[in-house]
Amino acid sequence: MMPAEQSLLPAPTVSGIRSWSLARWIQPQLAVSLLGLGSWVYGVSQLRPTGIGIYGLLASSPWLDAGLLLLLAGFLFELRGEARTWVLGLQLVGLIVAIHGAVPIIFGAAPEYAWVYKHVGIASAFEQYGRVTDPTNIYQEWPALFAAVASIASLAHLNPLTFAAWAPLAFELADALLLVALFRLLVGERRIVWLAVVLYEGLISWVGQDYLSPQAFGFLLWLAIALIVLRWLRRPLPQEDLGSRRMRAVAVVLVAAIYFAIVAAHQLTPYMALAGIGALTLLGRVRPRWLVVALAAIAGGYLALHYNLIAQQFGGLLSGGNPLANASGARGTPNASAAAVWSARVVDALAGGMWLMTLAVIARRLRRRRLGSIAVPAALAFSPFVILLAQSYGGEAIYRVYLFSAPWCALLIAGALYELRPRIRGALVAGATVVALFAGLQGLYGPALVNAFTPSEVSASVWLYGHTPRGSVIVLPVDDFPALEAADYNDYNVEVPPADPQIGPSWMDEGNLQEMESWMASLGHRTVYVVVSRSMDDWANYYGAPKGYAQLVSELPSSLHGSVVYHNDDATIYRLSVKGVS
Amino acid sequence: MSRPRTELTAYAGLAASAVALALVLGAPWHAMALAGSLLLALVPAGAAVMCWVDSGENAAQAGLTLALSLATFAIASAIMVWAQAWHPQVLLALAGAGFVSCAARLQRDVYR
Repeated sequence: MMPAEQSLLPAPTVSGIRSWSLARWIQPQLAVSLLGLGSWVYGVSQLRPTGIGIYGLLASSPWLDAGLLLLLAGFLFELRGEARTWVLGLQLVGLIVAIHGAVPIIFGAAPEYAWVYKHVGIASAFEQYGRVTDPTNIYQEWPALFAAVASIASLAHLNPLTFAAWAPLAFELADALLLVALFRLLVGERRIVWLAVVLYEGLISWVGQDYLSPQAFGFLLWLAIALIVLRWLRRPLPQEDLGSRRMRAVAVVLVAAIYFAIVAAHQLTPYMALAGIGALTLLGRVRPRWLVVALAAIAGGYLALHYNLIAQQFGGLLSGGNPLANASGARGTPNASAAAVWSARVVDALAGGMWLMTLAVIARRLRRRRLGSIAVPAALAFSPFVILLAQSYGGEAIYRVYLFSAPWCALLIAGALYELRPRIRGALVAGATVVALFAGLQGLYGPALVNAFTPSEVSASVWLYGHTPRGSVIVLPVDDFPALEAADYNDYNVEVPPADPQIGPSWMDEGNLQEMESWMASLGHRTVYVVVSRSMDDWANYYGAPKGYAQLVSELPSSLHGSVVYHNDDATIYRLSVKGVS
Repeated sequence: MSRPRTELTAYAGLAASAVALALVLGAPWHAMALAGSLLLALVPAGAAVMCWVDSGENAAQAGLTLALSLATFAIASAIMVWAQAWHPQVLLALAGAGFVSCAARLQRDVYR
């Protein structure tokens, strides 16, 4: 790879006019990117949900794979050559659009992930009633993001369902903008900046924390806080003129205001941010030192006002002091398909590789006694782990730790790659970005059939809330359906049989009709509505759970005498009369 | 303080505030109104602040404008929920504030 200094020289000119060679006119790096975009568009246009195999999108469309690879190649060619900001910026945007635009396009702009519909329901409730309608719902008590979505939907006279699918793309584009700004503050070489952002996009693509959610919103605002802190409140200051007393005061006010928005939006993110600011304060890199105390007071004050809810529903703030248990992540199933195991192993290796490489970079610097220059990203990369001392966050904490750690790990790894000899640097940069991108994408796209929904499934859910009486019991044999998106979601009782170890205690066999009938009778309603759908079938095939699901589906219209009240290509809703309920 | 960067932010704030108001209040299609409300959530409030503050770098200027706007929009929306006074149209005042602040920033430069 060309040394950075060499390629930063101005382009050769002839008599003051730029020489336009054929190669310069054609711009190979742009041509490769455009070719990639074309291949991606073709691949996405040819894919239908029914054509996606159990290994996910990457295994289903070579055109999609080639498109992503060429988009990355175009970016790397430009990075190796002139590294023009506008070209790299456009190529990065193209890559992010390709990564996060594929699933919404293939699935007809229906939002991905069942829990997004729960978030849409909270926003819809605010939009319709303009107040907290369910004080026992933790989402409603941390309303900032949901209220903002409700405001946007109200002003546009649209249901949030119509735009929720595009949230991952929007959040990733905004995150990338802030990361470019942050990395530019920390490193002088712009190639490292751009490489780090692309590495980050690959590393985090699988972790699924960018859908319409308070944590995606909180993470974006945390990056803004980090930017303000590193720009105006860092010690020693990189540029003394920017550190005037008045500007520092303004910066503290801005940090506090943004932090309050995070505190009012999400339960965990304020403490992740606090860990980062706390680590920098301990290292003596942030002034004033009392900033971390002020932020802790904001978070603590809000928590104190809502502590009863936390205590009632989660038994308090601490879920156990065992960090290894808190880091255990999602529970698997013993009968999971080879595809599910493969995707899980790929992302485990990616996460482990990221942290090991980062530790190796830090160890190398320590050996050379040059940690000072990377102390800030190193502290920010590992400060999120503090959270594991207190919380498992229902198995989710480790994914949040990964998300908050990834930007700084990406920066340290990118910096180390640029310290290598030019002869091997090019191959290693290409190898690292390809591995990070495609491993991350296997994690993102692998379970696409399970996580994404078709418009038909969403229509079934909308019909359900529009046509069944309030107070009805809705049974989801698999917890993978776009439910709870209605404003009146809490007027309905959505129940999932205890048959899937990934969801909770699982003592039931759904194929055992006696058990199933007895469990439905325990719900205390004479009539229940049972939903079965394409995504549920795919979940059961992918994870090998819940036990007996396929048998239940076949028995619903016969042995259980379910009458079909709604049916489309991807979903069927049965009404069942439950025996043994007076 | 770099004049072009904050001036550019002020011009962007003025334009975004005006376009957001026009789209939210007068767009014939919901998709255009959505573009207007997103613009309202993402630009005016942040531009009102960042047209006075130079971050020293273009991406930082744009990123902070966006994040500050979003934070302000979210807090204002949450206050309406807490106060049980749901009138999202009130958020159009953010466009007004953005307009006034950005105009004042440009005016100050003209008469300085």
